Amino acid sequence: MLRSCTAGLRSIWALRGRREGAPRLSMDLQPARRLFSTEKVIHKDWALPNPSWSKDLKLLFDQFMKKCEDGSWERLPSYKRRSTQESEDFKTYFLGSALQTQSLWKKAQLFTRGFEDGLGFEYVIFKNNDEKRTVCLFQGGPYLQGVPGLLHGGAMATMIDIALGSCTGGAVMTANLNINFKRPVPLCSVVVINSQLDKLEGRKLFLSCNVRSVDEKTLYSEATGLFIKLDPEKSST
Amino acid sequence: MELFLVPPTSCPDSTLPQPSDPPWSPWWTLCHLSHHGDQPKSPLPRSWPGQVSRFCQEMKKSKNYALPNASWGPDMLSLYHEFLEKTKTSGWVRVPSFRSNRDHIQGFKLPLDLSANSDKSDWRLFTRCIEREGQGYEYVIFFQPSEKKSICLFQPGPYLEGVPGFVHGGSLAALIDETFSKTAYLSGEGLLTVNFNIRFKNLIPLGSLAVLNVNVEKIEDQKMYLSCVTQSRDQQTVYAKASGTFLQMHLEEDSSRQ
Repeated sequence: MLRSCTAGLRSIWALRGRREGAPRLSMDLQPARRLFSTEKVIHKDWALPNPSWSKDLKLLFDQFMKKCEDGSWERLPSYKRRSTQESEDFKTYFLGSALQTQSLWKKAQLFTRGFEDGLGFEYVIFKNNDEKRTVCLFQGGPYLQGVPGLLHGGAMATMIDIALGSCTGGAVMTANLNINFKRPVPLCSVVVINSQLDKLEGRKLFLSCNVRSVDEKTLYSEATGLFIKLDPEKSST
Repeated sequence: MELFLVPPTSCPDSTLPQPSDPPWSPWWTLCHLSHHGDQPKSPLPRSWPGQVSRFCQEMKKSKNYALPNASWGPDMLSLYHEFLEKTKTSGWVRVPSFRSNRDHIQGFKLPLDLSANSDKSDWRLFTRCIEREGQGYEYVIFFQPSEKKSICLFQPGPYLEGVPGFVHGGSLAALIDETFSKTAYLSGEGLLTVNFNIRFKNLIPLGSLAVLNVNVEKIEDQKMYLSCVTQSRDQQTVYAKASGTFLQMHLEEDSSRQ
């Protein structure tokens, strides 16, 4: 499975198009800006407050932004689309894939950023590089419903996938996820996902997280995940 | 909103739940049942075929999304028609899909003491969140009551992207959870996901057809255990394998609405 992906992702790395949530040091943003500045499209950073953010979410955001001031934490930016250049180059490595029409590529956008403000996933991830852990503040909107009034388990699984991935470095892919749901999350509430890297074995990354309420009194779920680092040097044949 | 620490009124104070109690403990389950005046249940709901037909009945006011539209590719369409035939000949049921799960449980009270405030019209089922045809989730679920299994035909659109050109792992996990959820409910009132495990094997290209095969493996202690294999139509490529555990929960009739 991984072989077919590495060639394409090699080009992604070269163009700095990492998976959403991949760590970026502030100095890393410079090359990315140069790339984007050659295009007319402006890439909006979605991991910033908007009017749909509840008071709880804004308060937590401000608390973490304060922690970023001394450099111990950093806020990870979040974009909706890869640049056209990245997508084009990726396509050339995947000529064997079926049904990749031109129109499909142009419309593609990162799943969790495809909603209008407040309707879907409102989230921001802060990373502590020293402790190799991240905190994801997540507010699930009305389009993420499961049982009426509750957040869909699959929406929670999506966020857990993203939160765990944010603890990894470089290009990775999810191999396994295991989630224990302890209590259902009320729709439109804010939760905090604390993720950490537990173990690194070669290219295997073992991560875990817990999902708690803002006051930390309610544990909503616990999860573990296995992610695999993709090796850019590996041949695609 | 705290859902589990509101004690049912019929339980004595000395047995009030403690914050450390897991929500699925036998205490909670028995309290819930005694509050509603029921005896502990057998795994199957009381009126079996009635449950399925009630859940699956078409709603006049609500659009059914589990029907072909212009975005469905030839693979999706042909497999859909194959299963549609089976609904006439071998007992398969096509499960309608509405914008909100509320439409499936019209006439029932919401579970877990969720109040009427939760019942809002702008809330959408997650896998029906993207309205534009062909952009997000295009899927339909067929259920076989006698074997407690279902099949979901899934054609992912460009808004479900993760790795460029391929389906986001989380969006697939969500659809598997949703298929589990419908299968669990129709097989025995399984309502809430307790555990979900997924192993990704291969990436699904956007726009292609993926087939989810879901089975109920076991029902025990008010929990349903389901498995899912997601693969290409020709079964040559396995995209993911998943398993899920669902808690059974009986929904009460809402007499105030009738």
